[in-house]
Formats: sequence, structure tokens, C-alpha cells
Amino acid sequence: MSLDITIQRPAGNKQASVITIRLAGSLNTETAPELERQLAVVVAEPIKDAVFDLSELKFISSAGLRLFAAARKTLKDRGGQASFVNLQPQIEVVFDVIKALPGISIYKDSADLDRYLALLQSELPGDAR
Amino acid sequence: MRLELHATPDEVMRGVEALQEFATAQGVPQTAIFGLALALEECASNIVNHALKRDPQGKFEVVMEKSMGAFVIELRDDGPEFDPTATAARRPRAEDDDLPGGWGIELVRRNIDEIHYRREGRINVLRLTKRLVT
Repeated sequence: MSLDITIQRPAGNKQASVITIRLAGSLNTETAPELERQLAVVVAEPIKDAVFDLSELKFISSAGLRLFAAARKTLKDRGGQASFVNLQPQIEVVFDVIKALPGISIYKDSADLDRYLALLQSELPGDAR
Repeated sequence: MRLELHATPDEVMRGVEALQEFATAQGVPQTAIFGLALALEECASNIVNHALKRDPQGKFEVVMEKSMGAFVIELRDDGPEFDPTATAARRPRAEDDDLPGGWGIELVRRNIDEIHYRREGRINVLRLTKRLVT
């Protein structure tokens, strides 16, 4: 099974931006290198927060966990975090291995995540909104 | 079912997909198939990346079978002797901030009921058994 990667960059002020990365399919030893390449481009941008929407992710192995852990470390060092939303039950079980790491937040659904994003927005200086 | 796979990531996933098809045909529950597929991906990737150093000419063997109450996967490779069951369990602590290591075998432990390793001459033999609830 392949991995489809969709990266969504909101228009407007980059300081206020949270990049969303939607993954669909299988994140495994074969597909992880392509995600690694695309994440390298994403984290090279001046962002602090990234949201991974995993609603269509069917399979993940440690090859994927390693990428997520590396991304959250980069973002955490900038004062941000990596957020994960809409995990399917089988993906949630795998995430159990890394969810205790600092800089990782898991949200059960988009409404839950939206509350966090609204909080982020409210903490920005007025001219950055 | 017996597969001979080359030491490349796409061959690992060929093995995983073969397992998923075989186990589905055998009536294995989907939750169990996910755990078996994950365990095979982790163990086969370990062979490809470490034992056989991603040499496309290198080969390893996967045998899988379903019995009355269990599904068994056996992996055989001729890489250097390595017993993954001897690897200490790694459970991330809240204060951990390093990049991970050892998470693959941790995922195998969480999804497989019995893991047995033995060395047969120049061959590593890893046997994974998952009990199936009937």
C-alpha cells in the first residue's frame, strides 16, 4: 500500500501559520523515505507547529514513528509542537509507544484540535493574527 | 506459505502484503492481522537494514502458517548472529528527548505472544507466535 502525502500551508502571515500534513495509506519502511524528504522541506520553513491528520492512515511502523519523533524534536526546540489528530484505533495503539515524549500532542478529532489552534492564535501578538 | 525475499524495503512490504492476504484468507481477525503485519515489517526491516545491509542480492526467507489456535511467522537469514529477544525493552519516559532506538522490537513485543530466537549453523531463525482467540 502506498502513502499519499498532502501538505497544506495556510495563506497569510507565516508567524500565524500551522502547517497541516495529511497522510493516507501506509507509513512503512518503503514509504517513510519520501515523507522524510517532504518533512525536511516543511521544517526548513519558519514554522513552530505542525498538525498531522491521520484519519486516512491505515498502517504505521517504527519507521514512521522515528520521523514523527524527529519532527517534534525540531519543533519543540523552537517552542512549538507536533500535533496528531484523527488516529484510527490501530494507529493509536502504535502511538502508545511514543505518546509520552515531550513535544507530542494527540487530539481525538478536529474539534479537539481546533480548540488548541484557537488557543495558539489567541496567544499570538495582535499584528501576527 | 513460504516466501524468499530480497533485502530491500519494497520486498519487506511485499512480504507484509502477502501475509495480510494469506491471513485474511485463513479467517484471522483484522486486529490480529494488523499486529502480525507490524511484527513482520519490523523484524524483516531489521534483517534488511542490519543483517543484510540492504544488499539487493541478499535474500531471506519468511514462512507463515496458521494452526488451530495460533499464527506463526518464521524468518530466516544468513546475516551475523543477532538475537533481538536479548534487546532490552525500551519504554519512553516523559523526560526522554533523544531520537528513538529499539522501538521496533518494542512494537513486536506488544503484538506477538511468543518470540523465540535460535542460531542454526550460519542461519538466524526468529519465530513469532500470535495466539488467536477462537
